[in-house]
Amino acid sequence: MDLNYLKMSPLGKFLFNFKNFFKRLPSSFAAFFKAIPKKLYKLWLAFAGIFVNIGNAAKDGDWKTRTSFAVMGFGLICRKQYLRGILYLVFEILFILYMVFFGWKYLVKMGSLGEGKQVEVWDEVEGVYKPVFFDNSLLILLYSLLTIFIMVAFVYMWYQNVKGNLLSQQFVEARMHLPTAKDDIHSCADENYHKTLLSVPMLGLVVFTILPIFFMIFVAFTNFDQYHYPPGQLFSWVGLEHFETVLGGGISGGSKIFAYTFAEVLLWTIVWAFFATFTNYILGMVVAILINKKGVKFKKLWRTVLVITIAVPQFVSLMFMSQLLAEQGLINNLLLKWGWIDEAIPFLTDGTLAKTMIIIVNVWIGIPYSMLICTGILMNIPEDLYESARIDGAGPVRAYIKITLPYMLHVTTPYLITQFIGNLNNFNVIFLLTGAIPAPMELYYANHTDLLITWLYKITLRAKEYGLASVIGIFTFVVVAVLSLIFYNRSKSVKNEEEFM
Amino acid sequence: MAEVSLKHVYKVYPNGTKAVNDFNMEIADKEFIVFVGPSGCGKSTTLRMIAGLEDISAGELKIGELIVNDMEPKDRDIAMVFQNYALYPHMTVYENIAFGLRLRKLPKDEIHKRVVEAAEILGITEYLNKKPKEMSGGQRQRVALGRAIVREPKVMLLDEPLSNLDAKLRTQMRAEISKLHTKLQTTFIYVTHDQVEAMTMGTRIVVMRDGFVQQIDTPKNLYNYPENKFVASFIGTPQMNFFEGTLLKNGEEVIIKLDGSDVQITVPFSMLYKVNHSYLDGKTKIYVGLRAEDVSIAQENEKGGNAVIKVAVSHKEELGNETLIYGDINLNGDSGNPSPTKIILKDSSGREITAGDVIDVALKLDKVHLFDKETERSVLPRIPGYNYLDCEVKDGKLKFFGAELVMPEAAKCADGKYELLIPTDAITFDGNIKAAVASLENINGVKLLALTLGGKRLYAVNQEYAGGDAVNIGVDFKKITLTSDGITMHSPMPDINGINCKFAKRKSFETEEVNGKTKRRKKVCFGYDIEGNFFEVSDAVAQKIFAALGIKKAFTSSLKLEFVVSGFTVGESGIEATVEEMLDYGKEKFIKCKIGADSVYVKTDKDYDGVIRLLPDFEKAWVVDTEKDIKII
Amino acid sequence: MKRYRSKKVSERISLTLIYTVLIIISLIWLIPFLMLIILSFRGETAGMSADYLFPKEWSFNSYVRLFTETKFLTWYGNTMLVSIVVTVFQTIIVLMTSYALSRLRFKMRKPLMNLMLILGMFPGFLSMTAVYFVLREIGLTQNLLGLILVYSASSAMQYYICKGFFDTIPKSLDEAARIDGASRHTVFLKIILPLAKPIIIYTILTAFIAPWGEYMFSSFIMQNNPDKYTVAVGMQSWLNNATLMSDGYFSIFCAAAVIVSIPITALFIWLQRYYVEGITGGSVKG
Repeated sequence: MDLNYLKMSPLGKFLFNFKNFFKRLPSSFAAFFKAIPKKLYKLWLAFAGIFVNIGNAAKDGDWKTRTSFAVMGFGLICRKQYLRGILYLVFEILFILYMVFFGWKYLVKMGSLGEGKQVEVWDEVEGVYKPVFFDNSLLILLYSLLTIFIMVAFVYMWYQNVKGNLLSQQFVEARMHLPTAKDDIHSCADENYHKTLLSVPMLGLVVFTILPIFFMIFVAFTNFDQYHYPPGQLFSWVGLEHFETVLGGGISGGSKIFAYTFAEVLLWTIVWAFFATFTNYILGMVVAILINKKGVKFKKLWRTVLVITIAVPQFVSLMFMSQLLAEQGLINNLLLKWGWIDEAIPFLTDGTLAKTMIIIVNVWIGIPYSMLICTGILMNIPEDLYESARIDGAGPVRAYIKITLPYMLHVTTPYLITQFIGNLNNFNVIFLLTGAIPAPMELYYANHTDLLITWLYKITLRAKEYGLASVIGIFTFVVVAVLSLIFYNRSKSVKNEEEFM
Repeated sequence: MAEVSLKHVYKVYPNGTKAVNDFNMEIADKEFIVFVGPSGCGKSTTLRMIAGLEDISAGELKIGELIVNDMEPKDRDIAMVFQNYALYPHMTVYENIAFGLRLRKLPKDEIHKRVVEAAEILGITEYLNKKPKEMSGGQRQRVALGRAIVREPKVMLLDEPLSNLDAKLRTQMRAEISKLHTKLQTTFIYVTHDQVEAMTMGTRIVVMRDGFVQQIDTPKNLYNYPENKFVASFIGTPQMNFFEGTLLKNGEEVIIKLDGSDVQITVPFSMLYKVNHSYLDGKTKIYVGLRAEDVSIAQENEKGGNAVIKVAVSHKEELGNETLIYGDINLNGDSGNPSPTKIILKDSSGREITAGDVIDVALKLDKVHLFDKETERSVLPRIPGYNYLDCEVKDGKLKFFGAELVMPEAAKCADGKYELLIPTDAITFDGNIKAAVASLENINGVKLLALTLGGKRLYAVNQEYAGGDAVNIGVDFKKITLTSDGITMHSPMPDINGINCKFAKRKSFETEEVNGKTKRRKKVCFGYDIEGNFFEVSDAVAQKIFAALGIKKAFTSSLKLEFVVSGFTVGESGIEATVEEMLDYGKEKFIKCKIGADSVYVKTDKDYDGVIRLLPDFEKAWVVDTEKDIKII
Repeated sequence: MKRYRSKKVSERISLTLIYTVLIIISLIWLIPFLMLIILSFRGETAGMSADYLFPKEWSFNSYVRLFTETKFLTWYGNTMLVSIVVTVFQTIIVLMTSYALSRLRFKMRKPLMNLMLILGMFPGFLSMTAVYFVLREIGLTQNLLGLILVYSASSAMQYYICKGFFDTIPKSLDEAARIDGASRHTVFLKIILPLAKPIIIYTILTAFIAPWGEYMFSSFIMQNNPDKYTVAVGMQSWLNNATLMSDGYFSIFCAAAVIVSIPITALFIWLQRYYVEGITGGSVKG
């Protein structure tokens, strides 16, 4: 390290780093792209490894192993690993049944997303028109995705089955002890305990998070909206149309209002997340320092006053606030009555004012949390750091800047990151405060305070533009992912997870 | 209550770093073994491998009769004491001690009996109902010991158990653990970085550094006969004094010259008989080591003697009963000399000495340690490896020390003067040269004979010696080296024949009599594939290879079989080999031949030519994984 | 001597300043809640456009109307049920996931953690439409069970703080237990869980509170079936209804808010210590 760096002023250091960051940018980009072929090669090796393994099983396997290419678990059952073998077999049978009776008929329609829509047919027996369902694009898409998931799972299981069969053959040949069903069950509580623990959480994650995310990503390429709402109407693939709309192509609908709204909402989302995170953090720290200062009495009382406000459900305080701050809300009415103002202040309706108010309300909501966290950490800062600072002649402000702040920042980086991500997707504060305020003309189903997430909600529930909503959702993800990746890479404390173990 | 045996044990991390290298040790029942070394030397890793908390990358670990490589810790019948005690904070002392027994489903009464007994031994009965939090460090460590001993394990493992305690408590607990060992009569393996702990507690000590075992020996031997500079400096306080220097043989005297000063000490050659002669040239740099207690302020009558040197005192440490004096043998002060000239000596005479004094200091040269500067290995070993002597070859006869030997065909050399290197184990007792026995040392079960021949000294390591003042010696010519002006004229035959091979499997059929019917059954057998020849091995061997390499990699790894010289016999079938030449050593004959690219020496009694077939004896071979350079069997 | 005095004086001044600030802060934080309570005792049916704070007529009328006229009790019951069940599921899932990710070493550990990190960046609502159709297919829309499923299913992603806490428990405890003869399962049950009391309570607390304040998912799943609303959705439905608001529902809203807040506040104050330990334990070490 350059020793000159050490004597630079903070500004100088910042500029130095700033300059270096850009200086290094081309080389780090180059390094990134240089690494790609190597990564690809590794991936290829892993991929080739799979086929090598399968080939080996075909070559070295005896008839039992080879039979299990078609009848999963056959070799295992023959070699008395009944539990594993039967599980494989049952899985295969279930898969085949699923594909034959369910999965296949949806999968074949995935390309068209269905042709025949719902029609009403005269039911002669009952004498009424009855709806007859033919195809439902929605279900086709959903179930064909599910089928693809299950197929991937099946291919994985099949590969495991081939490997496992070969391995058990080799075990038998080597006259080594094969794990029995009892061993397998025991290992579920020991060597394979992670599988036991994680299977249920992961199943929930796949069905309720990953599958829906894939579904919505696919919906982004369809014209699924209120006019194409199955089963009455079908929807179909439209390619990149929605992406063009959002990015300013303005083809569908003919106006650029959508792109304009997107830009404004995106900008405000980032601004909001930044301010919401740091105002809370810094003010919370200040309050914590005040309460924890030596000589201040009733520490517990002050803290409890703030903590009570955490306990009151957020939605209660937020709705109440939205009522207080409404144009005809109590605060405006009181101010009018006292003659302090002549007309109601548009606390939540005027763009800029509303944004400021939201940040202020958010501070009010959030400070108790950050105060609690900061208190916990402040108490962990070794007292002798302050003592030595005092001996060196540092006043309280210097001590704060030189000791408290760096220490806090170091320790709370992960918290800050999660807060930042949380704020990017902070639905409650925005929606409950200003969700009921009608959208202005120049914006598409959004008002000035909407974040991507609340806008998404409105596009889905009010505009019923599902395809567009998905595109917004994808963009939201990209924004959140990029910002948080930058943060994660900047913070070192996230990386050395193992250090304190 | 069991032996522990480690054979070629390695710990290799996925990134390729080797934490433990080829650890070999037989620990006898009831021994107290201490692993000692600086942090990161692999001692804790070794212990954790014995405990089963780390996987063993290669090698074989046996506890009692069982190979426990792949056993879970709980099945190994061991107990472990951790540095930070690792007491379960939410359980009382009683529950802590009883936890292991409860998991093993012992009857309640039995558990109670054992816990109370252990608590009594350790003097913690009154704390049984307390939580660890309410106890002091020493008490906690006792609980941890209690938790280990109630299990009545075969082996007790202790991982730096005392390093979290203060100095006074540490000394006290040290004694208590030693007492406990005597009382329990169990094998103890104890890890520490503190050499005092190691010296005071261990029956044998393993000194480790950077994953390599440096020396395994009793505390006394470690102290008196360190095998390398590291062990010498690690054991003993204050640290041994080291100086760089040279040895020069001058007739029957050797001059020891220390760099960085003008100190020259003359010692009789007899004191340095065991030193490799190449070090006595006055040029090769060595380290001269002397412990502080082997350096003292010279008495009046010693002054002027050849082992007395001058030291400039820089400062001293008064310890009460003795004084540590720090000085410099370079009287001109520190002149930026790279070689160490600082010296520490112990003085118990109580003489008043002040900094700046120049004093006369006497060295106890019979306690001197000499180490090679590059390898840091002792050049004054207890058991010398070689005898170095000058000789002459004339008319096919080897002449040295006034004796004459007929040289066999294979060792024939042109006439002239040579330097002769005879390994100490190459001196046989079946020759016709009469040598007098000067002394006999028994070092760790090895008999070392000092022989006098023509007034000169020869060392022989030979277990056949039965007694008597004189022996008839001969020389095993296949082990000797003859050099002339640094050029090797005759080199010894290698005692290891390495052959590359693969591990392979083959299908065969075995017949079996079942109910009077002969059944043919397919059977897969495993073996080595050497140049296309398949040699079946026993299941036990196959399983060791599988265990070390994994069932999949076993067949793709390239292996090396290392045979001792008698590992092959010439036969009708076997591996094809091309004879290169016949080596005749008089009593023994060898064929030098090639298998593929590998040279192999085969003992024989007939002459061969052309292509022969060799049958290997796998009992006399070990297997090396060439990729990881790890011995498997 | 002089210096000494000046130090004391300045300290006194700064303390006075601090007390003033603290009192102001406390007022800022407490006044809205006091207003909430005061407004809930309004006897008259003045709308939210009233221009006075203190009721002209103090009465329990709003509370009586809350329990007689509205579906509040149903909503309250719904939320309570959902909260309790979700708490049980979520706590178990979070503990299992955290233990596996903190203590066990397996090949997919790092990729799994990265996956959950990335999934956490997807706006939860994005998947909502799909989840809604999945639920509709299995007949669980407008159904509390559906809501419970949605809340619990992705709880694994909440592992972060809990894992941070587990990471601080020394590994040698696990090792000692394993040498004592415990399987990994036994280690989890007998060693880690008893030591994880603060984080368990923290998890329970956060899991329990979440459904009370959650609006997005519950409003989407329940849509327009008021019998299945949670309190948040139900109370929001009042605020959007101008007719109701002019009929004194603003006071009823305040009364409902008070009723909702009481148990949670009590719970919170009781378990405050664990909450702080949990949240800081995770972040201090993270």
